[in-house]
Amino acid sequence: MDIFKTGAGRNLLDLAIIAAGFLVLLPVLGINRTTDFIIFCVFVLGFNLLYGFMGRLSFGHMLYLGTGAYAVTLFSEHVSQNPLLAIMAGIAAGALIGVIIGPIIVRTTGACFALINLAFDQVGYFLVLVAFSKYTGGEDGMSVYFSKMGVIDFGQKPIMFGFALLCLILTYYLLKKFTTSPYGILIKSIKENETRVKFLGYNTFIYKWITFIISTSVAAFAGALSILNYGYVTPSFIDPSRAVEVIFAALIGGSGSLYGAIIGGVIYMAISNYLASYISRWEMFLGIALLICVFRFRSGIWGFVAGKLKIREAA
Amino acid sequence: MTTEQPIIETKEATIQFNDLIAVDGVNFTMKEGEAIGVIGPNGAGKTSFFNLLTGLFFPTGGKIFFSGKDITTVPPHKRVAMGIVRTFQLVSVFDSLPVVDNLILSTNRISPDHESRGAFFFGDAHRQNKVEQCMDALKLMGIENKAHLMTSELSYGDKRKLELAVALSLNPKILLLDEPFAGLSDMEIGEVSQIIREVKKKFSFVIIEHKISHIIDLVQRLCVMHEGKLIAEGPPAEVLCNAIVREVYWGKEEGLTCSV
Ligand SMILES: Nc1ncnc2c1ncn2[C@@H]1O[C@H](COP(=O)(O)OP(=O)(O)O)[C@@H](O)[C@H]1O
Ligand SMILES: [Mg+2]
Repeated sequence: MDIFKTGAGRNLLDLAIIAAGFLVLLPVLGINRTTDFIIFCVFVLGFNLLYGFMGRLSFGHMLYLGTGAYAVTLFSEHVSQNPLLAIMAGIAAGALIGVIIGPIIVRTTGACFALINLAFDQVGYFLVLVAFSKYTGGEDGMSVYFSKMGVIDFGQKPIMFGFALLCLILTYYLLKKFTTSPYGILIKSIKENETRVKFLGYNTFIYKWITFIISTSVAAFAGALSILNYGYVTPSFIDPSRAVEVIFAALIGGSGSLYGAIIGGVIYMAISNYLASYISRWEMFLGIALLICVFRFRSGIWGFVAGKLKIREAA
Repeated sequence: MTTEQPIIETKEATIQFNDLIAVDGVNFTMKEGEAIGVIGPNGAGKTSFFNLLTGLFFPTGGKIFFSGKDITTVPPHKRVAMGIVRTFQLVSVFDSLPVVDNLILSTNRISPDHESRGAFFFGDAHRQNKVEQCMDALKLMGIENKAHLMTSELSYGDKRKLELAVALSLNPKILLLDEPFAGLSDMEIGEVSQIIREVKKKFSFVIIEHKISHIIDLVQRLCVMHEGKLIAEGPPAEVLCNAIVREVYWGKEEGLTCSV
């Protein structure tokens, strides 16, 4: 087991645990749902970098998910149907929107930060639904087509599942690197006391901007994967009223940890998928679950379990 | 340039909050290697003066120079890079991080002689040589055995020491300490002032302190602030005999007499 004590070994072990976890869920949930869950977890990871690690809560993260979704759509419609290129375009669009609106957004904190994200999302929603409906299909949305790449056909569910899992693992690995580096300590320090960080010689504005861009890019990545999975885009991918989903997931899991984000993503999806089919007003139970988390498990479900097992995550 | 170039200089430095003038036309100069104590009653504007020197606030009037360069509106992080380092009156360390992580940022700054961008974003923050640098800084303060505790578990005195360790690891050219002894026991004050005595030859420093007896043998010069103004300055012995100073400040501390 000594290999797992080294940094690289620890990382490999983490990745194996995540992969094994979703392979176990596969027979329980079925392949379509598991793929959905995985993609949602990518989204939660991106959101949580900003919220859990840097302490900036966004009410408008659907905008960045939607940016990825619509960028993939437009790319496949007008440029190329190569799925990998389309996903790259989705991520690039997410990064670009982060670069452009980041400087305005990261100047703010607290409620203002949350709401300014929401405001931008509302603008984006309007653009997709009304102003550019000629290109986006408006309320009806539109089908998106991707070409096969040799034997790789993302229309085949097992391939899509494997690819989504690979993407989640890749995202986890990159964020793990980021959050255990000096940069990771920097953003956690900004969460606690930004002024103090300035007096350690750091231009906090730049680092907040960078973090925002990483977060919007990962969210857009999740949006792009969703379209690859569904083959169809609708305005629900950019709908501001769905912002609570990712917030709930992050809170349930425990906000300052990567494992927590994934566990929160799975628990949220399980509640919203299964409770909904048994109980029509399932949101109430979600609310109760959240209240329990907020009051009983302050550091989220994962934080609670990790504390009990005395696992101290390096991140 | 002559060696007489002040390391830091303010000309009519003023900051006004609404109706209140917290720092009022202060002219202050300090030579390289000097050690200065700033005293004055509560609300005199001492902390506000530090805030101007370090860039937390920009002055509403007047100018600030560092080694002859106008830094009046240079942001704090750039002043730190120039070597202007401070601590805060309210101890400010990162409670949510392990003790050793408080030092990672000051020892890992991106610069040619520190860290590459790649290592800053992707490298392990806890590489052996990095942690050793942090441990050295902690050793200086005698708290290296607490490196792996959470900062929130430290005693108040140890947090003060940690904050000083962080400040020292930033390689200051001028170190500004805002009431570093506040809330410490007499024994801890002895330890901390001993450490300051040992390291102070390496840089210029300014220390704000309420009790003159704590700093009288640490500094060469005392500045007295009152209602935003610098009302007296000079060697401690002289300042203590100044009639105005005695009026605004005296009677509050026993055992300090004018020995002229
Ligand atoms: N950010 C601020 N906004 C408004 N008033 C302030 C601010 N900072 C300091 N003051 C006021 O300026 C005066 C001087 O405060 P301060 O510099 O903290 O004094 P000292 O450190 O000498 O005790 C006080 O009356 C204080 O209330
Ligand atoms: Mg003060």
